[in-house]
Amino acid sequence: MNILIKSATILDSKSEFHNTTQDLLVENGVITQIASNIKNPKNYREIAFENLHISQGWFDSSVCFGEPGFEERDTIKNGLKTAAASGFTAVAMNANSNPVIDSNSDITFVNSKGAHHPVTLLPIGALTECSKGEHLAELFDMNTAGAVAFYDYKKPINNPNLLKIALQYASNFGGLVCSFPQENNIAGHGVMNEHITSTTLGLKGIPALAEELQVARDLFLLEYAGGKLHIPTISTAKSVALIREAKKKKLDVTCSVAIHNLYFTDAVLTDFNTHFKVLPPLRIQSDVDVLIEAVKDGTIDMVTSDHNPMDIEHKKIEFDHAAFGTIGLESAFAALQTIFTTKKTIDVLTRGKSRFGLEQTPINIGNKLNITLFNPDLRYTFSAKHILSKSKNAIFENTSLKGSVYGIISNNQMALNN
Amino acid sequence: MSELSVNHLLGIKYLNKQDIQLIFETADHFKEVINRPIKKVPSLRDITIANLFFENSTRTKLSFELAEKRLSADVLNFSSSQSSVKKGETLIDTVNNILSMKVDMVVMRHPNPGAGVFLSKHVKASIINAGDGAHEHPTQALLDSYSIREKLGDVSGKKVVIVGDILHSRVALSNIFALRLQGAQVMVCGPKTLLPKYIDKLGVKVETNLLKALNWCDVANMLRVQNERMDISYFPSTREYTQQFGVNKELLDSLNKEIIIMHPGPINRGVEITSDVADSKQSIILDQVQNGVAIRMAVIYLLASKIKQ
Repeated sequence: MNILIKSATILDSKSEFHNTTQDLLVENGVITQIASNIKNPKNYREIAFENLHISQGWFDSSVCFGEPGFEERDTIKNGLKTAAASGFTAVAMNANSNPVIDSNSDITFVNSKGAHHPVTLLPIGALTECSKGEHLAELFDMNTAGAVAFYDYKKPINNPNLLKIALQYASNFGGLVCSFPQENNIAGHGVMNEHITSTTLGLKGIPALAEELQVARDLFLLEYAGGKLHIPTISTAKSVALIREAKKKKLDVTCSVAIHNLYFTDAVLTDFNTHFKVLPPLRIQSDVDVLIEAVKDGTIDMVTSDHNPMDIEHKKIEFDHAAFGTIGLESAFAALQTIFTTKKTIDVLTRGKSRFGLEQTPINIGNKLNITLFNPDLRYTFSAKHILSKSKNAIFENTSLKGSVYGIISNNQMALNN
Repeated sequence: MSELSVNHLLGIKYLNKQDIQLIFETADHFKEVINRPIKKVPSLRDITIANLFFENSTRTKLSFELAEKRLSADVLNFSSSQSSVKKGETLIDTVNNILSMKVDMVVMRHPNPGAGVFLSKHVKASIINAGDGAHEHPTQALLDSYSIREKLGDVSGKKVVIVGDILHSRVALSNIFALRLQGAQVMVCGPKTLLPKYIDKLGVKVETNLLKALNWCDVANMLRVQNERMDISYFPSTREYTQQFGVNKELLDSLNKEIIIMHPGPINRGVEITSDVADSKQSIILDQVQNGVAIRMAVIYLLASKIKQ
C-alpha cells in the first residue's frame, strides 16, 4: 500500500510530530516521510479529509460479534466492518458464542474468520469449559492458538478457589485472567442499579455492594495467588477505590469501564427502555463522577464500548425478560468526546493494548502505519442511520454526540468510510 | 378541568393532583349509581374492554369486570397464569391479537414491572394497569385514598402507615405516590429485610417498631406478605413475623387513639391482622372493596371519554 495522507493533525503523544499538522508518505505500509508539504512522488493515492486528525489506531478490549451461533445478533465479518468504520484497528472479542470459545480449535476458527482484515481481531477464550464456572478450559492450548485473555463473559466466577487456581495456572505462561465483578447472591435477580430509580419502578436492584464484594474478593485472591488479573467493566466508586489501593500494593491488576457507565445514570430508566438495560447496570451520578476521574488518573486502565449486539426479540419485551447489553462501537468515540477532551479521548482509546498483547505503533518515520482517521469537531445526534451492527440495540440512540470517524489504515490495508 | 391529563392509567406517578380529584368526583357519582336499585348506566355501550390477566387475581378482576358491566361496556376476559413469554408468544403479539378483534381498552395485570408502560408504547389502545409486578397498582391506591377521604373527610394532612412487605408491593408504591400527592404523611413499617434500602428517598418515614408506627398514624394499611414473590426467605417464620408485625385487638386497644385499619386483600387472617381486627368497627376493609368498583368505573369512564374524542 502506497499512499500520501494530506494535511493531518497528528494526535499521538508517542510521536515526535504530536500536535502538528503534517503530510505523511506511506510506502508498502510503512511511514517513509512526515513533513509539512510532501509532493506526491509516484502518483500515489492521496488521502484528504476535512479537518483530518489521525492517531494511533484505537483498541477495544471487549466486543461481542455473535458468531458462531448467534448470527442473528451479528457476524464477525460485519462486526469487524463496524469496528473499522468506528475507528478501531484492534478489538478483543469475547467468547460468549454458541458454542462458547473454549478450545484451541475454537480460537483457530475465530482467527480464520478475522484474518486478512484491516482490523486485528484478538480472540478471548473462555476461562472455564462452556463458561459454566466449573472446570478450567484448556488455557495453555488456547494461549498457544492466540487467545489474548480468558474470560467467562459477564459470568462471575462464583467459586473463589477456581479463580485462585486460574490465576496460579495461567501465570505459568503469563495468561491474563478476567473476572466479572459481580457477587451473584447479592445481585440476585436484579435488573438495574439498586437505588431510588429501582425503588420507584419496582424493579429488582443490583446493589453496588454486589460488585464491590467481588472486586475485594478478587484482589485478595490476586494478592495470594499472583498472576495477572483484569477486571472488566467496573461501575462503582468503591470499586475504583479498591483497585487504586491494589495498584499501590503493586498487584498486577487492570480494569476497564464501559463508556455508557461514564455517560448515563440509572435515572434514564424511568420509562423502562430496555436499551438502557446493561450489565453492570447504570449507576448514580456520584459513581459516574468517580469513574471519570479514575479514567483520567489512570486507575481505570481502559475504556470499552462493551459492544454487545442483541436482536430485537431479546430487547423489545418486558424489562425483566430483556437481555442485558448494548452496541457501542459506532458511538464510542463521539460519546467519549462529550466526556473528555479530544486529547484525553485519544489517550483512553489507545490504552490497554499491551495488556492484550498488542504493540504500540507510534506515528513515526520507519513504523508501520496503524492509524485512525477522524474529525473531532462534528456534532450530531446519534440515530439509527449511524448503526452498522446487525442488531440495533444502541444505548446512545437519540443522544447528542461529538466527533466522526473517517476510517482506519492498518495491517497494510485501508478501510475508509465513503 | 373535566378530563384526565393522561391517556392511560399506568401508575399514580404519571398522574397529577387534579387527575386524582377528578377521579374521586367521578367515583362519587358512580358510587351513588351502584347503590341504586338499577345499578347500571349506558355510558360505554360502544366501548369494548379486554381484561388481560397474566397473573392470578380474584378480587381485582371481579371488581374491574363489574365496573365495566355497570358501565355497559362489552367485556372480553383473558387469563393466563403462565407468562406469555413461557408460552413462546410475546406480550405485544398476544395483545395485538386481541386488539385486532377491535378492542378499545385493555385492563392488564402482569407479573413484570413496567409491562403496562411497555404495552402503551407499542399497541394502540388505552391501557389500565391492574398491577405490574412490584411496580404499581394505581386503582388500588386510588380506592385506598378514596376510602380514607370517605372516612376522614380528607387525605391531606393525614398520617398513614403502610405495614408489611413493602419490598414486593406494588400497592405500597402506588399508595406512597398517591398519598404524598394529596398531602398526606406516609410511613412504612416492616422488617428491614422487606423495606427497600432507598425507600426513604421517596419522602416517607421508615419505622421498624409496629407499636410506634401505630401510635403515630391515623390510618394503618396492612399488607399481605407476598410469599409468591419471594425468591429467598426474608424472615425465619410466619410466627415470628406475626409476633413483630401482626396487629391484634389487644395491640389496637392499647393505642392512645382509634386508628383506621385497611387491607388491600386477600387477608391472611392471623398473620398480618387477626380476625377480630379485620371484622372490627375500625376496619374499613369491605368499604374498600365497594369503593373499588366505583373508582374503577370512574377511571374507565374518564379514559373512555378520551378515546371518544
